[in-house]
Order: sequence, then structure tokens, then C-alpha cells
Amino acid sequence: MNTDVKKTKNSNNRRMATIQRLLLRLELWFAPLLLLIPIIVSVVFILEWYTKGFINGLSEYDGELLLGLLLLAGNLVFDIPFVRSIRTLKKKQ
Amino acid sequence: MLLSEMATKDVFKNTKQRMSKYQDEFFEQLTAIEVDAHWFRRAFHTFAASFLFYYLLPDEEWMNAIKIVVPIIIVFCMTLIEYRRLRGALDHQRFFGLRSYEKKQPASYLYFGIAVVLLFLLFPQQIAIPCILCASFTDPIIGETRHYFGKTRAYTIGFIVSLFFFFITWYRADWWILILVSVIGAAGALIGEAKKLRLIDDDFMIQMLPALLLLLFWQGSLAFGINILPPKIILPI
Repeated sequence: MNTDVKKTKNSNNRRMATIQRLLLRLELWFAPLLLLIPIIVSVVFILEWYTKGFINGLSEYDGELLLGLLLLAGNLVFDIPFVRSIRTLKKKQ
Repeated sequence: MLLSEMATKDVFKNTKQRMSKYQDEFFEQLTAIEVDAHWFRRAFHTFAASFLFYYLLPDEEWMNAIKIVVPIIIVFCMTLIEYRRLRGALDHQRFFGLRSYEKKQPASYLYFGIAVVLLFLLFPQQIAIPCILCASFTDPIIGETRHYFGKTRAYTIGFIVSLFFFFITWYRADWWILILVSVIGAAGALIGEAKKLRLIDDDFMIQMLPALLLLLFWQGSLAFGINILPPKIILPI
């Protein structure tokens, strides 16, 4: 019985230590944000252009389309090697 | 009754054990993930282009106050964190992706943040947008192409890319203004990137130098009774 309790305590302590280590690794928390936020923002720009500009036939919103596409393309160009670099290092380990 | 109670307890215990095993495995897998600092820095740069969302925020009184206060608070917090890091209160190792020379000087993200806030608060969006785009994309593009094509070609590519950013932001201006502004802005961005200063990071200069040059050009043209600024490219929601 005692050994069971000790085992559980040990594994709990180990888990807490792992969680603390993970919490300190800011790059793991930032990585999803770095990938998702630019895509969301570019989609918002493109939607703005579509709903306000394209449907109403207003050219004032064309700039938002350009920026949306630029944000999307620019981020994808650098996000793909970034994601790949995460994978390869993971595979090596 | 007793038997079924024991069986339930066993099932419960087994499930709990299995769950904690899965949890441990999941955490171990997360710990095993390694992020490449080089590409992390590049992705951070391009991510900064999302700050342009700022100009989509509604133009209302309460929102205008938020638009001023929140960026200042964020930069203040960043400054505080950097101050603590430089004083040794925060471990340098916790800051992933910092360059070795940033160990004893403020990190480039602080310079980047200060420049973006200055652009948001003091410059019209027609000037601020291409400058932020230059810092977000031209800087990493020059950094990457430098490895493959050498310095001179990398800067030429950087100049052309910056030119493109000024073109798409000022495309509704007169053709001579468009050309002049694009050349001045792209040259400013390139000089800001290429000229390495000891105290100020290039992430600050690549944004502020073209912005200041264009501000002078704009104000100078206003003195002659010409407003060179085209209509805004981003309209609030």
C-alpha cells in the first residue's frame, strides 16, 4: 500500500516538473499564435473587402484585399519552413 | 452488490491510471518538441504584419482612447521585462530566439514594438503601413536571400520588395508622387536595414527612417500647398 502511494506521489511530482518545464518554454506557446493570427487577420481583411467592397461595388476597399493577400502569402512563405523545422527536429529526437 | 461495487472501483482505478499514462506521454511528447530559433525569429517578423489590424478598429471615441492607451501599456510592459532581464532578475535563457549580442542590450522585439507604436500614434497610416510591412517582410527576405545571393543582391531584392510595399499603399496617388514616395521610402528602409548602429537596432531604423523621410516630404509638400497623401488604404470596421 505504502509503495503504491509513493509511486503515485513520484509520478505526480514528475508530472508537475514536466508541466513547469513546459510552461517556461515560451516558444511552444508562441508558435501557434505566430501561425494562426496572421492567417486570421488576412482573412478578416479579405472578408472586409468582399462584404463592403466587392458586393457594393466600392473600389475604396481594394487596398484591404491587397493587404490581406500580401499578409497571407508573406506569412505562408515563412511559416512553412518554420513548421518544417519543428517537425524535422522532432523526428530526429 | 459488493462485487459490482468493487468492479466499478477497479474500472475507475484502471481508467484513472490509463488517463494519467496518456497525460504523461502527451507531456513527454510536448517536451520533445524543438523549435528552430532561426525560423522562429523569421516567423515572428512576418507575424508583426498582423498589427495592421489596428487600422481596422472602429473610429469611435472610446475605441480611439483604447487605441492610444493599449499600445503604450504593451510597450511599457515590454520595457519592464527587458529592464528586468538586463538587470539579471529574469533568466536570459527563458527568452527563446534571442541573439547572443542581445544578452547585454535590449532585445530587438522591444525596438520593433517601440517603432510600431510610434508609427501608430504619430504618423498617418499611409506612411505607417509600408514601413511596418518593410520591417515584417523586407528584413527577413534580405536575411534569407543574403545566404544564397550575397549582400549586394540581397539588398537589391530588399529594395525592390520595399518598393512594392510603397506602391501598393500609395497606388491611388498621382504617378509622380507614387514613384517619388516609393523610391524615398524603399531607400530609407534599405539604409535603415543596412546601416548597423551600435545603440539602435535595425528593426527600429527600418521603420523609422523611411517614415521620417516621408513625413518630411509630406510636410514639405504641404508648405507648397500640395497634399501628397492618397486616401486611406484601410478603413475602420
